[in-house]
Amino acid sequence: MYDVIVVGGGPGGYVAAIKAAQLGMKVALVEKDEIGGVCLNWGCIPTKALLKNARVYQEILKGDFFGIEGIDKDSLKINWQQMGNRKDMVVKRLVNGVKGLLKKNGIDVFMGTGVFKDKQTIVVGDKTLKTKNLILATGSRPFIPTIEGLHAAMEKGIAITSKGALQLTDLPKTMVILGGGVISVEFATLFNALGTKVILLQRSGRILKGTEEELALALQKHLMDQGVQIVTNCQLKKVEGSKVICEVEGREISYMGEKILVSLGRQPNVEGMESLGITYDQKGIKVDAYLQTNVLDVYAIGDVNGKYQLAHLASAEGITAAENIAGKKNSINYKLVPSCIYSFPELAAIGLTEAEAKEEGYDVVVSKFPLSANGKALAEGESIGFVKIIAEKKYGEILGVHIMAVHATDMISEAVVSMEMEGTIYDVAKAIHPHPTLSEIVMEAAHGAIDKPIHY
Amino acid sequence: MIQEFKFPDIGEGIHEGKLLKWHMEVGDTIQAGDTIAEVETDKVNAELPSPYSGKVIALLAEEGGIIYVGQVLIKVDTGEVGKSQDQTVEPVAEENAGVVGALEASSEVIPASAEGRKQEAAIPPKRKVLATPVARKMAYDLGVDLRNVTGTGPGGRVMKADIAAAAEKTTAGDSEASKPEQKHETKLEAASKDRNQIERVPLSMIRKTIAKKMVQSKHTAPHATAMDEVDVTELVKFRETAKGHFDEDIHLTFMPFIMKAIVLALKKNPKINSSLDDETEEILLKKYYHLGIAVDTEEGLTVPVVRNVDQKSIVRLAKELNDLGQRARNRKLTIDELKESTFSITNYGAVGSIFGVPVINYPEVAIMGIGKISKKPVVIEDELVIRHMLPLSMSFDHRVVDGGDAGRFMNDVKKYLSDPYRLLLL
Repeated sequence: MYDVIVVGGGPGGYVAAIKAAQLGMKVALVEKDEIGGVCLNWGCIPTKALLKNARVYQEILKGDFFGIEGIDKDSLKINWQQMGNRKDMVVKRLVNGVKGLLKKNGIDVFMGTGVFKDKQTIVVGDKTLKTKNLILATGSRPFIPTIEGLHAAMEKGIAITSKGALQLTDLPKTMVILGGGVISVEFATLFNALGTKVILLQRSGRILKGTEEELALALQKHLMDQGVQIVTNCQLKKVEGSKVICEVEGREISYMGEKILVSLGRQPNVEGMESLGITYDQKGIKVDAYLQTNVLDVYAIGDVNGKYQLAHLASAEGITAAENIAGKKNSINYKLVPSCIYSFPELAAIGLTEAEAKEEGYDVVVSKFPLSANGKALAEGESIGFVKIIAEKKYGEILGVHIMAVHATDMISEAVVSMEMEGTIYDVAKAIHPHPTLSEIVMEAAHGAIDKPIHY
Repeated sequence: MIQEFKFPDIGEGIHEGKLLKWHMEVGDTIQAGDTIAEVETDKVNAELPSPYSGKVIALLAEEGGIIYVGQVLIKVDTGEVGKSQDQTVEPVAEENAGVVGALEASSEVIPASAEGRKQEAAIPPKRKVLATPVARKMAYDLGVDLRNVTGTGPGGRVMKADIAAAAEKTTAGDSEASKPEQKHETKLEAASKDRNQIERVPLSMIRKTIAKKMVQSKHTAPHATAMDEVDVTELVKFRETAKGHFDEDIHLTFMPFIMKAIVLALKKNPKINSSLDDETEEILLKKYYHLGIAVDTEEGLTVPVVRNVDQKSIVRLAKELNDLGQRARNRKLTIDELKESTFSITNYGAVGSIFGVPVINYPEVAIMGIGKISKKPVVIEDELVIRHMLPLSMSFDHRVVDGGDAGRFMNDVKKYLSDPYRLLLL
């Protein structure tokens, strides 16, 4: 009899398992595919590895700018296989690392699909496991809408999902990306930077719904400047082989792509849980503030609970669920979940957007500071972007921070910690930021929110 | 056996205090007389000594929290067996035994903390409360004492939601007791102003006490005020001469002389040295002369008492005044030194004022306000001369003292102050 069985070995599940083990519980982890889940194997990590390759390529192309001569740009070639190998090495190393951690923490790992008999009984292959508590961390998979010809294109290997895009044997010359969300934007960035002609089809008026409008529009413009064709207000009609037919402003237009990347959202993996009696809808399994489902001692974390699709949140939920099983009453503040987009430059954000803050009735003060006024950014030749701080006027409490910068994803944590501690613009402005760093822009924006920035 | 130590009644109508610091931990072995904790009351800071020896098994209050007289503070395992509760009652408890504990003789006071002095901070940082920046600012605005708030954040960090909850609780509690109209107006005013224009400063303990006592005095005693000027030219000369007659370095002000003059006048006018017992409808004439001297401190007004002024020499009074004043400013006064004054003096002349209308230090029936001595043109025997004039204003409780009584008393005071020889030789 286990204290906890975690079903799903992604960043939610394996973290929950480790935490539960650290809290002294007897833990088993069931994974049907690869330890590390989508994040480590087909998501966060491999895409970041490939993005680095793309970045290096772009840097080399900019050799002249940095005063490096002798590069014959015409003879530069992308070795896609080698890029894939490097990516696979990174993934393998991380997955082995996680396996090592599971072992170190005494967690029994069962590879195979878990079949739920009841909330205390799971069958994996020929083994029947018993548990007191269950953590469901089964994740999500790409959502494939019913569009005429799409399934046929997928069967032919023309239309692919993000997982397929990472396993391409050759770099496509052209690619049509369906959808303008985070995954679409990252793959658009990646393939565009590697020389693929990318067409991104977006249903609404702009890419990155949910991202602060100003940043989304700035990135949209930048991507277009870099050669990505972004078609907004585009209704998908049908797919004919490698041709995507859609309606744009009343007219039917078709786009050709050697590959069609289907990136129209993800859906929770809730199948096969009927015997548990848990409540779920198309977004995911319903949980309470303590991440428990409607069934006692059954918890759901990560993508499958339908709150957000973010690895770091899944991990945080995993820890929280494990602690709650251990008797705590912890919950997650979903207002303070950072999000990152690994485009060139990156976007990172936490908290409310300006529009959301106003909608919630805050008397807001908004302050922006551009990278072009930052010494480190200029020195690095990476001066595209800005930071935007939204604070409420009364106490100066920071409500949201949105960063567009080359390393925005590494910079947002300052805002996360500040906001976790209910920090104010006064605290951030007062905190001495090291020079020269990009992080100075956050301090400058805080100064700007109080009065005026120093360097602008 | 287990003994409980209750927050004792330390007199002077003190019902509550703030527990500043424990001097022991659970598990410590203590001796009777060891200090248990430091407590801040509205009057003084005091150390509470333990009446028991033994092992501390429980601390039942939190640092920074408010404790009430009679509340059990610690439990001590004395290790003794078989003794009944009655036998272990400390003899000192006799006097005010009852529901509350008694404080074994201790007028010891703790050194005043420099930290507590800056009252513009919302939190006297005796103990750094873990709180978020927003929570701090909110607490400051809403007058919530952070130390009384239980934090729900990580590690007990006080979050803004905790402050909001605490403020709501306070407001709910207040609304019944206070005058709604007045409160409403203040609130309206505050609401209409920008937050930068109004700063909310929570009342300190001492401020609360002053406010309470002033309202009590003004509500109870119908005040009337008599004013006069005294020619103290001779006294000024006398003081100058006298200064050279001491070996010790004595800070000789006019106050000891004024005190002497007042006490002599009080003896001739006993009604002024009295108080009114409302219930029995009697005037209590006091045969002792303890003068309360208003001292302006950073935290606010305190009135230490110089006892038996009639039995003390000018020099002794000068020394005592100096000592009391200093200790008042350092918050080192003991409770006893704030008790039982029969008449009070407030010297607003020290800050340059000429006249004032002092508020009686209730339940006394009169208070003398001393203005600044200054040179003025005066007509003496049809000649215009320059004299040192001392302005006096005496507020009195018109229930007990009439204008005639006040005038006669003032005349006596004047007589003594204008003629130092009469003052000192009598």
